Amino acid sequence: MAGVLLGVSFVSWLAVERPLTAQAPAPAAEEDTGVYTTAHSSAYAAVREFFGIRSKPVQPIAFTHQVHLANGLQCVYCHVGVDQGPDAAIPSTNFCMTCHIAIDTDNPEIKKIAAFQSRGEDIPWQRVYGFEPSAHVKFNHAPHIRAGVDCATCHGDMTKQTVAQRAVNHTMGFCITCHQQNKVSIDCVTCHF
Amino acid sequence: MQRRDFLKISAASGAVAALEGCGNPDHQFIRFIPEEDLTPGIATWKPSVCTLCGSGCGILVRVMQGEAEVIRNGQVGLIKMGVAKKLEGNPSHPISQGKLCPRGQAGLQVTYHPDRIKGPMALTGARGSGQYQAISWDDALKKLAAELGPLAASKQKGALTFLTVPLGGQRKTIVENFAAAFGGVPVEFELFDRSVVHQANLQSFGIAALPTVDFSKSSYVLSFGADFLGTWNSPVAQSMGYGQMRRGRPGQRGKLVQFEARMSQTGANADEFVACPPGMEGAFALSLAHVIINDKLRPANAAGAVASSIEGWSAGLADYAPEKIAAQTGVNAAVIVRIAHEAAANGPAVALIGDIPTAQTNGLASALAVNALNSLLGSVGKPGGIEFSPAAAASTSAPAGSAVRDLVQQINSGANAPKALMIYRSNPVFATPPSWQVKDALLKVPFIASVGSFVDETSILADLLLPDHTPLESLLDDSPSSGTTRAVANVAPPAMSPLHNTRSMPDVLLTVAQQVGGDVAKSLPWKTYEDAVKASFAPYAKQTNGSVTGKDADDFWTKVQAAGGWWSNDSAATPVRAGKSSGAVKNIAAQFDGDAGQFPFYFLPFASQMFYDGSLAHLPWMQEAPDPLSSAMWSTWIEIHPATAQKLGIAQADLIEVSSQHGSLRAPAMISPGVAPDAIAMPIGQGHEHYTRYASGRGANPISILAPMIAENGALAWAATRVKISNVGKGKLVLFGGSLREADIEKEPR
Repeated sequence: MAGVLLGVSFVSWLAVERPLTAQAPAPAAEEDTGVYTTAHSSAYAAVREFFGIRSKPVQPIAFTHQVHLANGLQCVYCHVGVDQGPDAAIPSTNFCMTCHIAIDTDNPEIKKIAAFQSRGEDIPWQRVYGFEPSAHVKFNHAPHIRAGVDCATCHGDMTKQTVAQRAVNHTMGFCITCHQQNKVSIDCVTCHF
Repeated sequence: MQRRDFLKISAASGAVAALEGCGNPDHQFIRFIPEEDLTPGIATWKPSVCTLCGSGCGILVRVMQGEAEVIRNGQVGLIKMGVAKKLEGNPSHPISQGKLCPRGQAGLQVTYHPDRIKGPMALTGARGSGQYQAISWDDALKKLAAELGPLAASKQKGALTFLTVPLGGQRKTIVENFAAAFGGVPVEFELFDRSVVHQANLQSFGIAALPTVDFSKSSYVLSFGADFLGTWNSPVAQSMGYGQMRRGRPGQRGKLVQFEARMSQTGANADEFVACPPGMEGAFALSLAHVIINDKLRPANAAGAVASSIEGWSAGLADYAPEKIAAQTGVNAAVIVRIAHEAAANGPAVALIGDIPTAQTNGLASALAVNALNSLLGSVGKPGGIEFSPAAAASTSAPAGSAVRDLVQQINSGANAPKALMIYRSNPVFATPPSWQVKDALLKVPFIASVGSFVDETSILADLLLPDHTPLESLLDDSPSSGTTRAVANVAPPAMSPLHNTRSMPDVLLTVAQQVGGDVAKSLPWKTYEDAVKASFAPYAKQTNGSVTGKDADDFWTKVQAAGGWWSNDSAATPVRAGKSSGAVKNIAAQFDGDAGQFPFYFLPFASQMFYDGSLAHLPWMQEAPDPLSSAMWSTWIEIHPATAQKLGIAQADLIEVSSQHGSLRAPAMISPGVAPDAIAMPIGQGHEHYTRYASGRGANPISILAPMIAENGALAWAATRVKISNVGKGKLVLFGGSLREADIEKEPR
């Protein structure tokens, strides 16, 4: 009984959001160890991966999907190429500024984008969805879009999202269930290679 | 950028890739706004040209969006751009035919090399110290114009020397015009310049070019030391033809006989291997001719005027009777007779002569003998025999073999010494014997600038570095002079944007010419290199019998770049002409430096499949790739015959000191039955003092111990040195495969 309580509290301790700088850091920049593996830098990090616990991404700009979608933008307007290749591209600073050179220019977040552009820099967005390197998953957007899978199926209702959250948990079960229902391949190498 | 900073970048980008949602954008790398609009994850294949040897193979480059570490406005950061990821042969190209040799594959590493010169640099330390500091392009071009301007005004002939690797297309035109504006001609130097074969072909056939052989139509191939499947002439095209020769005609396999003292990769493919002592290759060719003439297999005059280069031809070549050759070489006379009969009976029969035989003091005589044999066999001008490409038609004079020695002399003469030297990729400090004293001479030139991409033994002497783009980042054009009898004009736009702060070499010359002004500017009338190339392609726009046609000149220019070039649909071989003969060459025996008593071994450097002439030793894939015969990697080695090794108490990997009259070096022993018992062979390419982190201080350079022997045309005879050897301890040999499989050499040396 005590063990179960300890176990539960341990897991909930793991789940507490904590800036990653508290963990064992990646090797100091000066020493490139030359070891590039999917191994973890600490047991803590390994256990977190095992339980599928990931940090919340902190975005440099408080981009809200809700506002943009409410203004009539479609997903593919920004995420170009999602029906052609594996990646749903995030557009560059220049792309944002094509509208925001005129729209909402007093907003401090927009001013931040303008500042990035004036420095010639792209915005360092933090990844929201993805898979651990150890999973060896290579996800390809294009076949899914072409098959008519709606963006919201895997990414949740973006019209309700402000700063991007992981609204849907992409476990292997989540993928396999849909594949089975739609009678498409569940062969291992379809995704793991 | 300091190495430390570079490592910082590598570690940080590794951390970015880890999927923990790092959390803090302030610790991220700077990412620059992409300058290209690419769909991520989708690859396109773009045409380009491989420039790592002179073959001019057309290639395809797989380009995808990737992240590259670049510097923008002095800041390091990442940028998403189209990056080349893989090279393959272009299936439509008449020379490469969809294939690519290992060197071509490694061309990718030239672009991503960590030790590339990343921007213009000015010397801050002593010459040769390698201490440079980054400067802007404006400053670099101003400096160059300031140095060259007064020279143009002085009108001194040869005030500027342009030392370069052999060039083609509009690069060649621009460099020639640039040099001419200063009263000079470019000095073209590379180790395997094949000027001896050019000279021989000029004398025999009126064309100063390497032959093109369509092996798919050959029935009998006599190769005198020509490694045509590996490093000689146009290996990719030749290998494709060879494959057709062996398997493309059901029931016919053709026959390859290789005559050489050290079994090359091509020799290892031969049906029959004749152990030919160094320098005797021409004699063997004439012995075969003797048999053919005396046994009435062909009339003596079948060789026509080509035979006038051979002393004693009309008298029946009595000195080359098989018995005489057998006595000198130990090869059975009956073997010579049989091969001669086979060659005469199985046409087309073609004879080739390669690098080691023409790197002898009698190289020209041997090459002329091979030309006469071909003429006798009736294979000249026929598919399957010796042909010449359409581009070879323009080759009416042979390059002087003595260009670098002449340059050294000119510099040392004082009076007419050049005041400025420009270097483009050529590396004579590495590839000439120390006794030529090239480095000392170059150091006397008041101003030296290098426009290549890397620091090597020669470019490290420069005061100013103005780095070129690498080939994948460059507009490329040339017309290879061998490899196919179809007309080929390669042209390809850059496959990717430049990674670093480099500029296209021909454009740098054009810019400087404009800045210097006067006659220099007038001699280079194009605004950009692209203008020059586009103009040179205008004649092809009018052709109807080729791979690309267009509605008008602009449409054609777009299409031809997208295709990687223009090539004719049909063969258009240049017919042979009357040779520019200079009378009969005495068939003198080869001379070797060092008396045979004191220096008992012939020293045979050979072109390495991976490093070629050493210019590719900086590519780690080439260091990693095992040598095809020995499987050695990251090494230099000395090939020694097992019987010789046993006699001298040498075991595999023992460290051997090899000494000539001019120097010594040390390298581990590789016991090999493929080298003559009285010869020592060594791959060329390692032993660089300065050539990036991968090649510097690695192995030994066989050229460093060579005697200053020359062939008849003044070219370096790099296979004409004799050496002695001694076992000085244990060395280290890195082998991929373990050992040569032929017998169990450690147990039963033959």
